[in-house]
Amino acid sequence: MEFKDYYSALDVAKTASDDEIRKSFRKLARKYHPDVSKEANAEARMRDLNEAYEVLRDKDKRAAYDALAERAASGRPHGHATAGAQDFQPPPGWDEGYTFHRSGGPSDETDFSDFFSSLFGEAQRRQAQSQQASARGEDQHAAIEIDIETAFRGGERRMELRALELDAQGHPRWVQRTLDVRIPPGVRPGQFIRLAGQGLPGHGGQPAGDLYLDVRIAPDPVWRVDGVDLYMTLPVTPTEAALGAELPLALPNGDVVEVSVPAGSRNGRKLRLRDRGFPGKTPGHLYLLLEIALPPADSDAARAAYEALAKASTGFDPRRHLSR
Amino acid sequence: MNLHHRTTVSITHCTPVDADHPLAAAELARAAGDRVEWIWELVEAGVITPLAPAEPPAQWAFHGESLRWALEARRLQRDLDANLDATALIIDLQREIRRLRSLLGGDAAPR
Repeated sequence: MEFKDYYSALDVAKTASDDEIRKSFRKLARKYHPDVSKEANAEARMRDLNEAYEVLRDKDKRAAYDALAERAASGRPHGHATAGAQDFQPPPGWDEGYTFHRSGGPSDETDFSDFFSSLFGEAQRRQAQSQQASARGEDQHAAIEIDIETAFRGGERRMELRALELDAQGHPRWVQRTLDVRIPPGVRPGQFIRLAGQGLPGHGGQPAGDLYLDVRIAPDPVWRVDGVDLYMTLPVTPTEAALGAELPLALPNGDVVEVSVPAGSRNGRKLRLRDRGFPGKTPGHLYLLLEIALPPADSDAARAAYEALAKASTGFDPRRHLSR
Repeated sequence: MNLHHRTTVSITHCTPVDADHPLAAAELARAAGDRVEWIWELVEAGVITPLAPAEPPAQWAFHGESLRWALEARRLQRDLDANLDATALIIDLQREIRRLRSLLGGDAAPR
């Protein structure tokens, strides 16, 4: 496990005051907000920021983290590795005497690193358990990426998730959990799928929370998703564009439809197939963008055909609008 | 802790959160990690809208989109100490940005 340097994640010195940490976090949180940031790794940076801030904003967590970092860096016998090493393991009992409270939302912790979970996740949970003798488990959130065909048709999807479970003695422990999820057909991008009872375990015999999966559609070479609408570029020949055509088209739900390309279609013409986007009470539409593909003039017959076309259309000047 | 413990769970039943399977206000509050009164505040500020706003609050039900915005509102309030009105304004602007990006299409479209 990698030792996380939370100070460099927040771009502050180890001696930074609470106010400096808060200011730096807010500045970086604005910089890496997904609606604003142009950085490719904005989402990962935001996750790191949230994790670092979760620790450094809290007096006890920060003190425990500082002590651990110092111990690891000085290479004392209990620290099994040095800070920055990949095989870091916290020494047993490192967190004695500290009080950890959660301040994050339910969506945050499943995203945090193994490092965070190993240091604070279980300790927080122990304390929450001792404070609340009887409470329903908290809900959890995770993202799931599925391909477009699975979204339309449904299917099985395997996902790995870090989760808390109670061991035989009733103590919480983090486990690597593999979930085989059956995705129902007709799932929309951005929709949540609810898995009842798969969140954090309850206390005092109360039920577990739920797990919410945030559905994301994997990028596809053919289909582009925009909300509930689908877009695709449909290549057509010049003949099909000029004379019109009925073209078969296989859709992500498995249907094959006939698309009517109107005669005289220009390159870039947009055709709408109503209600053929993502299903639902207000279904999305499917938009086809026509792209005229030229047959290569690589044979005598093809060249003759192009020349015949040129002779038949001498009045056609595609650059007429350029002459002044 | 270690992550050497491994379990495999087969989920045969899961529910898409949609108009047929909405979230009650209490469920939405729990999923967003806050109190049900906070959900009512979000509705009053126009951040989220119940499926049938004319119903009494105890019977309000919400689409999954409301969960997305409730989570965002919570993040804004927690991370930036934004008050409810500022949160509502930021979320309105985020919606507008997404709508405009979607009109632009292509690479500018949101995920």
